[in-house]
Amino acid sequence: MIVDTSLFTRWVKFSPSILITLLIMPVVAGLLGVILPAFGWLPALGEDTVDLRGFEALFATPGFVKMLALSFSTSFVSTFFAVLLSILILGNYFNSKLLGHIQTLLGPILVIPHAAAAIAIGFLIAPSGLIMRLFSPWLSGAELPPDILLPNDPYGFSIILGLTLKELPFILLMAMAAMQQKEIKQAIEGQYKVALSLGYHPFTSFCKAVLPMLYPFIRLPIYAILAYSSASIEIPLILGPNTPPTLAVAIMQWFNDVDLHLRIQASAGALVQIMLTLCVLFTWWLLEQCVKRVCLSSLINGRRTYADVTWKFLTHCITLVVLFAIVLALIGLVLWSFAGYWSFPKAYPDQLVTQHWQSALQQLPETISDTILVALAATGVALFLALFTLEAEQQRRTQLSSFTSLMIYLPLLVPSIAFLFGIVWVKEIIGINAVFSMVVVGHLLFVMPYVFLSLATSYRKLDLRYAKVAASLGRSPWSVFYSVKLPQLMPPILFSSALGLAISFSQYLPTLLLGGGRINTLTTEAVAIASGASRRISAVYVILQILLPAFGFILAWLIPKLFFRPRY
Amino acid sequence: MPIIKNKPLRLRRWLIWTLLLVCPGINAQTSSEKTAWQQTLQDARNDSVYFYAWGGDPQVNRYLEWVTKRVDNKYGINLEHVKLAQTSDAVSRVLAETSAGNTSAGQVDLLWINGLNFATMATNNLLEANWVSNLPNFALTNPDQNPAMTMDFGMPTNGMEAPWGRAALTFYYNSATVSTPPTTLQQLLTWSVLNPGRFTYAKPPDFLGLSFLKYALIILNQQQDVGIYEQLYVAPTPQSERQLLSSLWAFLDKLHPHLWRQGQYFVSDGTSIRRLVGDSELDLGFTFSASDIPGAVDRFDLPLSIRSYAMKDGSLSNVHFVTIPVNAKHKAGAKVVANFLMSIEAQAKKQQPSNWGDRTVLDLSLLALDKQLLFSSPQQHPSALPELDTSPSLSEPHPQWSAVISKEWKKRYGAKQ
Repeated sequence: MIVDTSLFTRWVKFSPSILITLLIMPVVAGLLGVILPAFGWLPALGEDTVDLRGFEALFATPGFVKMLALSFSTSFVSTFFAVLLSILILGNYFNSKLLGHIQTLLGPILVIPHAAAAIAIGFLIAPSGLIMRLFSPWLSGAELPPDILLPNDPYGFSIILGLTLKELPFILLMAMAAMQQKEIKQAIEGQYKVALSLGYHPFTSFCKAVLPMLYPFIRLPIYAILAYSSASIEIPLILGPNTPPTLAVAIMQWFNDVDLHLRIQASAGALVQIMLTLCVLFTWWLLEQCVKRVCLSSLINGRRTYADVTWKFLTHCITLVVLFAIVLALIGLVLWSFAGYWSFPKAYPDQLVTQHWQSALQQLPETISDTILVALAATGVALFLALFTLEAEQQRRTQLSSFTSLMIYLPLLVPSIAFLFGIVWVKEIIGINAVFSMVVVGHLLFVMPYVFLSLATSYRKLDLRYAKVAASLGRSPWSVFYSVKLPQLMPPILFSSALGLAISFSQYLPTLLLGGGRINTLTTEAVAIASGASRRISAVYVILQILLPAFGFILAWLIPKLFFRPRY
Repeated sequence: MPIIKNKPLRLRRWLIWTLLLVCPGINAQTSSEKTAWQQTLQDARNDSVYFYAWGGDPQVNRYLEWVTKRVDNKYGINLEHVKLAQTSDAVSRVLAETSAGNTSAGQVDLLWINGLNFATMATNNLLEANWVSNLPNFALTNPDQNPAMTMDFGMPTNGMEAPWGRAALTFYYNSATVSTPPTTLQQLLTWSVLNPGRFTYAKPPDFLGLSFLKYALIILNQQQDVGIYEQLYVAPTPQSERQLLSSLWAFLDKLHPHLWRQGQYFVSDGTSIRRLVGDSELDLGFTFSASDIPGAVDRFDLPLSIRSYAMKDGSLSNVHFVTIPVNAKHKAGAKVVANFLMSIEAQAKKQQPSNWGDRTVLDLSLLALDKQLLFSSPQQHPSALPELDTSPSLSEPHPQWSAVISKEWKKRYGAKQ
């Protein structure tokens, strides 16, 4: 392709570097802002000696080992379950219409912010929650809520439940996105059919013929999930134990403690958190290697079935339970948001009122508009850079190096708790006062990877012959990009935008820290309200948190249908 | 175009000046103070004041929305309520700013604070000093006769914070399931043994949880020598810690197995206790703002059968304040807002149970009778704390005790299995 040096091509040429800088700079600066205090250097408090006090205090914290164990086990086990469930669902419903339906039903969970999901699950499984109410008193005999440790159990089962439910749709979506790519689709469907025709049972065929090809495509998302869940805040904060909590929650509490010297310990904790996350990733890698070794022989042993019927039945049951729980949680939310007083063990409120919605909506218009503005800005920038970077790829005719691809994942792989506090510190030192743009930059760190990844597949599999024809007819690169490529890409662009908006809507820590409380989004308000006493107002906020991203996806789905009919 | 735009503003300013000149002094103040205050009022006009205040209570948030409207009308100040999940977030912010050399453009203009957060900020020189006595309405709190207005948890405020409201630890119970609630600390223990799992408190450093522990600490040590007991009101020493805290741990060791979830899990946030009472997981709760309770009943968060009462052996009481960080950007505006918060209008509105129900800091005996009437509520809510229900008021121990209790509590119960 002939490339001249117009403004457009120059922009395109630089955009990969701009994108990488935008992602790496804040993370590295933020990490620096944590490493120095971790070794005792915090001049603001008159601490300017370098030593290991922070780490000593950290290791002496009561229950420190338990914190580590809790963070490690909850993230590892939940990811394991999520991957296992994904394989079961993909394998048993492969090539069946059910898979699409399950995806449609689970998809919305992907866009529910973690805080909202945690609150909803809490409503469900608490001793006075909806499940207990449904079975009381006729089955359980309980007139009063039983005094059991759920949620917030010391072993982190509630955290695992919450994380698994949130991770499952993500892995499914990533796997299905990969399976829909043309070459992969052809290859795996071909192999699957051959396996079937050789007498392999369906699930065994999937595991032996499809999974080994599919796994590499979901591997990076799985690592991102492991990293995220080992350092996540919202779910362990709302569903987890607190004597002691997980490491990430403890770090956040130390950073926020009135005793300002705890920041040294918190910074040391942030570094340990990075080590912990690396450990989790490494353990997963070990697991991968073990599975590879152990299963290699069974792949080619010619055995046609491994209790396929049982697996299928199990999958049906699990899928039903998961869907039932989700539907029940949503019903619970709606009921709470309209509930008058709702005494235990009634499964239905004593009366329904609209008071909670009225008072919430009176206070919310500004919050909602701020939420949307930040999300639009972050998604807009992300979309622009992602498209240009991908265009640069095509103009250079080489895919991004694996280093660059990894860097795009960087903000998802480094625990955000470790670098966000550092960013605030650095921002103060430089003396940046801009609030809105800082929040947008903070959101961009997390929006960018998702937008890029969701666009990349479609962009890379774009049929280049149209572009070549246009170019050979004398169109400039800009014109090819604008009038040939973009219209072809409209549906994935809209989907990526909706995803970007949803990710931005759900950001809690970046909004809180970089906005300094000046910019309130629905999510920061929802977490602030969740710390308060009104379950009803909480429910209203959570529903709004779900509706807002859902609205984005509906638009992304509707717009191409209405305006961009295929013109074949 | 700009000239036309400016005109009404100038006119308004001129009007205000005339009014100020015509109106004789309302409070007995020297003319130089008066002009200084007028200068502050003038500087404050068109300021955007960022008020960092805990935002977990819809009722308080609504009251602050009303304040926002009033200061906009009265003083042309654009007040923004920044809702905090916890006050210490703002303390960290001010520290981060000053440590990075930001000494005059800080984001926090006004902060709702007391106790340990105040002590931390004051000892780290993060607060503007000696401005409160210049606020005209401060005289209405009668600070000379009322030391609580200038002492925060035993620490002198040195003009760094202006009183805003008063609170006392108030208990409430569900009268549908409990006929006689415990009215002393010892009764609370026996009641918990008889009704296991129906009471809990929030784990420190939550403000409400610490308040419960301080209440217990004071009551348990009332029989001690006066010399030892008074150690509660000065900074703790290793010796006084040993003498005073041992009875608290002994009490808690007895109490914990009978608490909600056998004392293995404590909520992190004191206000969640209200939700748990609403869910009928608990029968007995406590709060620092008695007015929350009738408000919560009206919002259906609590059942109609809730009743409030004060413990007979004493109620922990304190005053909460607003303060201005040393690096605040809009100090004039913040002062004007702090002054408005202490005005008769704002304080009377705040004391009404339907608005917030937070007790006033003004000395009502200084006010004219018609003004006093503004503070009385038309009728008592059945769930509200009966006005006649009084109990000895227990003052807050020295703020350092909170830190010590918090640390020792974590050692003992923080990592329990």
